[in-house]
Amino acid sequence: MTELAEIISDLQRRFAADADAADGEHSLENLRIEYLGRNGEVTKIRRTIGTLPAEQRPEAGKAINDAVAAMEARLDAVHAVLQSHALEEELATSIDVTFPAEMPQVGSIHPVRRIIEQTCDYFMRHGFAVVVGPEAEPDYYNFDALNIPSDHPAREGFDSFWLSDTVLLRPHTSPLQIRTMQQHKPPIAIVAPGKCFRRDAVDARHLFQFHQVEGLLVAEGIHFGHLKGMLTGLCRELFGAEQSVRFRPSYFPFTEPSAEVDTTCPKCKGTGAAAAAPCNMCGGSGWIELGGAGMVHPNVLREVGYDPEVYSGWAFGSGVERLGLPRYQVDDIRRFINSDPDFLEQLS
Amino acid sequence: MRIPISWLRDFAALPDDAGAIADRLAMLGFPVAAIEKRPTITGVVTGRIVALEKHPNADRLQVAQVDIAGGSALTIATAATNVANGQTIAVATVGAQLPALKIERRTMRGVVSHGMMISADELALPADWFEDGILQLDGTTPLGVDVVELFGLAAEVLDVEITTNRPDAMSVIGLARELAASYGVPLRLPSFVNPGEAAEPAAEAPHVILESADCHRYVAQRFDGVSVEAAPAWMRVRLALAGQRPINNLVDVSNYVMLETGQPLHFYDADRIENGKLIVRSAREGETIVTLDGVARKLSPQALVIADEGQPLCLAGLMGGMAGEVASETRAIVLEAANFNGTRIRRMSASLGMRSEASARHEKSLAPALTDIGAARAAQLLSALGATAYRPHEFGASVAPAQPIALPVREAERVLGLAIPKERIERHLRALGCDVASTESNVLSVRPPAWRRDLGIAVDLIEEIARIEGYERIDAVEPSVPPHAISSARFELERRVAHALAALGYHEVITYSLQGASLSERMPRASVAASEPAVEVRNPLSEEQRFLRSSLLPGLLDYLESYGPTVRVFEIGDVFAADQNRILEQTSVAFGFAADPSPQPWHDSSFLRLKGDCEALLRKMTGRQADFSRGAGIGFHPGKTASVSVGDREVGKLGCIDPRVSRAFELEGNAYFCMLDLAALPEYETPRYRPPSKYPSTYRDIALVVGVEVSAREIERAVAAALGDICTAVRVFDEYRGPQAGEDRKSLAVRMTLQRYDATITDEEADAAVSRVLDAVRDEFGATIRA
Repeated sequence: MTELAEIISDLQRRFAADADAADGEHSLENLRIEYLGRNGEVTKIRRTIGTLPAEQRPEAGKAINDAVAAMEARLDAVHAVLQSHALEEELATSIDVTFPAEMPQVGSIHPVRRIIEQTCDYFMRHGFAVVVGPEAEPDYYNFDALNIPSDHPAREGFDSFWLSDTVLLRPHTSPLQIRTMQQHKPPIAIVAPGKCFRRDAVDARHLFQFHQVEGLLVAEGIHFGHLKGMLTGLCRELFGAEQSVRFRPSYFPFTEPSAEVDTTCPKCKGTGAAAAAPCNMCGGSGWIELGGAGMVHPNVLREVGYDPEVYSGWAFGSGVERLGLPRYQVDDIRRFINSDPDFLEQLS
Repeated sequence: MRIPISWLRDFAALPDDAGAIADRLAMLGFPVAAIEKRPTITGVVTGRIVALEKHPNADRLQVAQVDIAGGSALTIATAATNVANGQTIAVATVGAQLPALKIERRTMRGVVSHGMMISADELALPADWFEDGILQLDGTTPLGVDVVELFGLAAEVLDVEITTNRPDAMSVIGLARELAASYGVPLRLPSFVNPGEAAEPAAEAPHVILESADCHRYVAQRFDGVSVEAAPAWMRVRLALAGQRPINNLVDVSNYVMLETGQPLHFYDADRIENGKLIVRSAREGETIVTLDGVARKLSPQALVIADEGQPLCLAGLMGGMAGEVASETRAIVLEAANFNGTRIRRMSASLGMRSEASARHEKSLAPALTDIGAARAAQLLSALGATAYRPHEFGASVAPAQPIALPVREAERVLGLAIPKERIERHLRALGCDVASTESNVLSVRPPAWRRDLGIAVDLIEEIARIEGYERIDAVEPSVPPHAISSARFELERRVAHALAALGYHEVITYSLQGASLSERMPRASVAASEPAVEVRNPLSEEQRFLRSSLLPGLLDYLESYGPTVRVFEIGDVFAADQNRILEQTSVAFGFAADPSPQPWHDSSFLRLKGDCEALLRKMTGRQADFSRGAGIGFHPGKTASVSVGDREVGKLGCIDPRVSRAFELEGNAYFCMLDLAALPEYETPRYRPPSKYPSTYRDIALVVGVEVSAREIERAVAAALGDICTAVRVFDEYRGPQAGEDRKSLAVRMTLQRYDATITDEEADAAVSRVLDAVRDEFGATIRA
């Protein structure tokens, strides 16, 4: 018996020394296996209990169990200390947060779509619907129904791409206005974005393929003041709350009165100058053109079956890439159709 | 149109500030493209040469005594050779400021010169438009008068843009009327009485036959006693300021009247008109005319000419011919003030590739009433030059007064949203030349002036009222938009697709819808089957705009070639096909990228990545799982292309691009694209939630060796069918080909996830399920287990 007691206390002495020397989770685990594992020291000692007389075995077993409990407690304690040190060390570590990030692979929508969405969202907030439609349209929807008679300059084939005797690539999205008015009774509140085509030579300010957004509101009691209100709001939406908006008389066959709409040049903020030279975005006038607008001509209303004595409305149209030039201060309109990756990345 | 402000001031009192006038014109609807400032010139006065002698000490010089009505005559030396005693000229006195120099007393070869005689150049007028040497003034010019003031040389010249509906405003009087109405000042019009009205008809009265309906009205007037020489200086100076080169007194009168009144005129040498008869007709095929610019032109019946019985003398409303033009011998002329169909003049001008100041006005359809006004002004000026005016004759339609327009007074407020008192409405309309009468108390009867063909209905008048009142007087008001049933669904669909693709890491590009043969034929030339014939544009500006694209693919492959292989792109746009006589247009969605070929020819991870993006996109758009089966498409690799379906509807194609096509587009490596038909996408199906089982799941993996032609989907379907309800997922997750599988065989690793809803699944049940699977795949595919 005392022999067992000696063995146990010798075991505990060796264990204590080894536990003191444990320098990490790994050596702690080895210690556990060596002493308390399936083939460890304690197991060997337990096997010797069978050689003891029967009445000594319970006491021997208890002594071993007590020793095991103490060893396990010690292991747990050391483990806790190791954990606590590791935690302290971790909390004391810092990293360079200014190191460049690993960027996710995000895509982008085209700046043209972004301008269209911003414009359409503005109108949708005011109760307008957004309509889209085909790019190849008969001349009736492009001209006749818009009060552009067959001998008007706009029809002469100078300006449009023709696909047959009567079908052309739409030079504006106005056909959607006519179609919508044919399919619905008033009130009509729509905005119509889309791709358009004009037979223009391409340069820094002109494309032959571009996008437009047109708007139309027809109901009872609509007047020119409403047109001003809506477009002033649109200019502020696109260019900032401080924008001034100016309406100048003009001429379109499908509106009367007609207007050209200008807003403050965002590059020179309306001063007309940039770095002691005339501003090259607005040519020095301090204004950029938003587009054309006006009250819908009675002939157009009559053509779709509306009574101009009862209903009135306004319409407007803007070139999207044309708006993109001052919006993003782009130097050349061709960048919108080239869509080069650097351009898309900068404006995304 | 170039308008000297000094000319405008003949007709209305205007502010001094040219910028203010330009702003006002812009706010009336006539934008000013440029304001040309004139240089400061002072101290130049009119004078008469009362003595002229050769210079005692210099052969080239002469010494003149010039009377400037300010005491004694000035002694002025000059090198000019065109001066003579008695001439009236302009003289810069000592202290005068010219554009290039200041005048001082100068001693020229011993003679002190107290000033300098002036040529056009020193007055900042184009030197080659005036006489060589000293500018010659009219003998009747008062002496000692400041020349700059006399000729209005200090005031700016405006470059004004006129919209096509206002040809009446392509004139000084037209714009002066606008400004007078806007500023509320009187308009001082010259008399429009033709001095020939009171005269006898000419013995050889001009006779005009209108054979063409495109000449609506023709006023012909004969003048005798004409002598062709330089026009008076004041007229030449004014024309030069307006950008019109002076030619001779007759041409200058016609240009002057055109600029002032807006009616172009033409003069014929009366003695060169065969039998005194003029015919307005279409040209005959092959007829020729040598126009005033010396160019011989071959004509077609599209041209409208004024001809005598022998030949065409003038391209109507466009340019005169050399036969019949006035020359130095001309003693009698016939004046033409005519009115033509604008479209006819425009088409003739376009087909001949010619434009003139006259045609720029005629092509906008002038008012017939202008003919009388133009003839009258010209007759006044010609009479002042000493010609004898005969009675004018009119041919064609007479000038009928315009129909009155009923304008309810409240209508302006209804359209504009601005209440304008009736008196102001009347005042504005009258200032523009309308006759306004009240019928009932709140309806005006408005008769537009004869020169305004663009005023026909009430809203036309309302626009005039708004312009003169000023658009800025109308307040901006928020409209309240009434409810309606118009749908934005199609726009929202496209928007969702675009944002979903952006979220998946694709960048949106826009490529050209019009393509040249070089792009659209690259796929057919790469020996890949051509699609239907493309829709052709009849009138492209260049060969690069000849065809409408039938697919987004060539444009996107071209983009990848230009901008490098690492970009992932998408485009949503319309494509076109020709179907007999119809044009089929549909919206296509395409997304893809270029990538290196995969190391294993039978397993393409780029394809699988694209497929994953496609599945994710379709799940987001439709709420459903897409199906992929072997497919084919134009431009796609025959063995690496899938047909994509949602439900039972095919929505598009996905795959590796045919390497012959990639090579035709000079791409290194492979390209992978998915093309979807936007309209074919089914409606979004809302998912129904199914709570997970409370009981744990388990899984089994097996590796099945099958023939290479057996698809992963077939295996998955067969395994799921064999497992039955306890299977919650089956997924092929690996493929191996090689010696261990055998020739023409492959090994597919399959994970089966098993779970019960009523109890924990036991190992025995799982094992039994796997047995069922093995039996099923052995029977159906001859599958074996991989060793």
